[in-house]
Amino acid sequence: MSATVYSLKNVVKQRIIENAGFRLCIPSLEIQAGENIAIVGHSGCGKSTLLDMLALILCPDTTDQFEISPVDARSDNIDILWQQKNQDRLAQVRRQHIGYVLQSGGLLPYLTVRENIELPRKLLQLADDDSISSISRVLGIHRQLDKLPGLLSAGERQRAAFARALSHRPSILLADEPTAALDPITARKIMAVVMELIKGLKITLITASHDWAHVYKMELRILDQEAGPIEQGRIYQSTFRD
Amino acid sequence: MSQVGNILRLSFRDYTHEWRMSGCFVLALAAVLAPMMILFGLKFGIVSSMIYELVENPVNREIRPIGSGRYDPQWIDRYGDRDDVEFIIPKTRTLAASIQLKSDQSKRILSTELMATAEHDPLLANLASTPQNLFEIILSRGAARKLNLSRGDQVDASLARQFKGKRERVHLNLEVINIADALLTSRSVAFVHLDLLLATEYFKDGRSVPELGWSGDAVDGKSRSYPSFRLYARSIYDVENLVKSLEGQGVRVKANAAEIATVQSIERNLSIIFWIVACVGATGFAFSLGASLWGNVDRKKRDLSILRLLGFSSRRIVLFPVMQSLYTATLGWLLAVLVYLSFEQIINRFLAPRLKLDQTLCYLISDHFFWAFGLTIVTAIFAAIIGGIRAAEIEPSDGLRDI
Repeated sequence: MSATVYSLKNVVKQRIIENAGFRLCIPSLEIQAGENIAIVGHSGCGKSTLLDMLALILCPDTTDQFEISPVDARSDNIDILWQQKNQDRLAQVRRQHIGYVLQSGGLLPYLTVRENIELPRKLLQLADDDSISSISRVLGIHRQLDKLPGLLSAGERQRAAFARALSHRPSILLADEPTAALDPITARKIMAVVMELIKGLKITLITASHDWAHVYKMELRILDQEAGPIEQGRIYQSTFRD
Repeated sequence: MSQVGNILRLSFRDYTHEWRMSGCFVLALAAVLAPMMILFGLKFGIVSSMIYELVENPVNREIRPIGSGRYDPQWIDRYGDRDDVEFIIPKTRTLAASIQLKSDQSKRILSTELMATAEHDPLLANLASTPQNLFEIILSRGAARKLNLSRGDQVDASLARQFKGKRERVHLNLEVINIADALLTSRSVAFVHLDLLLATEYFKDGRSVPELGWSGDAVDGKSRSYPSFRLYARSIYDVENLVKSLEGQGVRVKANAAEIATVQSIERNLSIIFWIVACVGATGFAFSLGASLWGNVDRKKRDLSILRLLGFSSRRIVLFPVMQSLYTATLGWLLAVLVYLSFEQIINRFLAPRLKLDQTLCYLISDHFFWAFGLTIVTAIFAAIIGGIRAAEIEPSDGLRDI
């Protein structure tokens, strides 16, 4: 039986943006090591908010349980870390165990592709090996390593973003709409390569997407937002649907 | 590489990547700092030149008694032992303090004022030595020019008197051991050992001077007193106290106290004006830089959020804007120094001669540059704290959602 990587109970986060907002409620969420999870739902229902909480960069409002147990590493009670404002420990967990791919890649514009990919390894003071070249070759960006991100196409940037997220061999990969900015053909190619890669590395993948073409093979968790007209001041509730 | 090392590297890479924006910050700092340096350079240069002239010219430290008095050798020695007195030497009666000089290189006979001198005489500070005996003499440049004499030449010195109804003249062969600085006096002056000055007074008074073979009445054994003296304060700032001390003893004196007080007042007022301008400028710059850094952190919210996402702690992220502020401070200071040096050259080489000023109008010493650097860094760090606080407060989740 696989180990549980994430264990959440009654996690709630409310966000207000310009007098409108939503309340994200997670009654229960358990993710096992090695699973491929797709969180789907309408735009604005809280997918990115959930990913941010799983990435330990957004503090939930209330929680009964929020634990992270990366493979071959100690468990952490995230709720207590947030209460203690233990930013250093949260940063350490992110650094060691989590890779994150943003919708537009999120590469640092002043570093070359190689330097962007190396950055998580440098943070962990990992020795130089051929992992950068092998990951970049698999993802098809080995010829772009010495370029600045501004000179890459959208597809190449996204491949580089995946390479950076995977270069330090995290046990968890989070991806927020990773193919939203890509054309369908490029998106399919990238996701195919990534799925093969993470299968070989035994990484737990959690992706937020409303692109059914890419997530149909994954286990779905559906975030349902309550229906109704948009009203000023109304907080819409989003909950996982079984 | 540690987190700190990575942050230093990343902050520098970002700073150079956005060289246009960084350049604007550097120019803004130099635009504030360079004028302040020029202002301070002018203040320091003008005042220093005025003080230098006062200080360097020993005449400004001289305190001269008005009229004649009776100053015994013990009184002279007592004043010579004071910390605020650099030099004091007795003077004889004015009428007796003259001698006639003649040289083989000139046809003229020059009547020359005699002044006693000794070691540490400020008027002869640039010269290696002073007359050590009765047969050595230092001439003023005017006297040397008129007699066509140089160092090492011999000069015939003669004195005349009316003694017991007969006119007598004595001669003395003196060696010119040096020529005094032209700026000291335009008069024909001869500096001699005190014993020679006293000998000329004795001779003219009809006394004998056995050391020189001059006959006359014997000098009585009573200790003598002197009608006047030549006194120099140790610095221009000691003149006022010395004048008060002498006048407290009933000695009326004359000194350049008023001129010294004027220069000191100018220095004080210019300093006040400068520091007001400097404080206002520094405050304005600090807030301006702080506001720019705050805005810069907002602009870089996305990149800083990505760094937090990758695993940099919020404490380390604070270093990002702090380091960039230090880069701006260092480069801005360097540029300000270059601008200042250019203006210093323009002012001193082109402006001062046109104003017929033969002094340095604008300059700074190396200490001033280091002080300016230090103050710039301190101001930049203070401003950077504002940006750093803003950076630490960034919610990475909010920063990422701006993409």
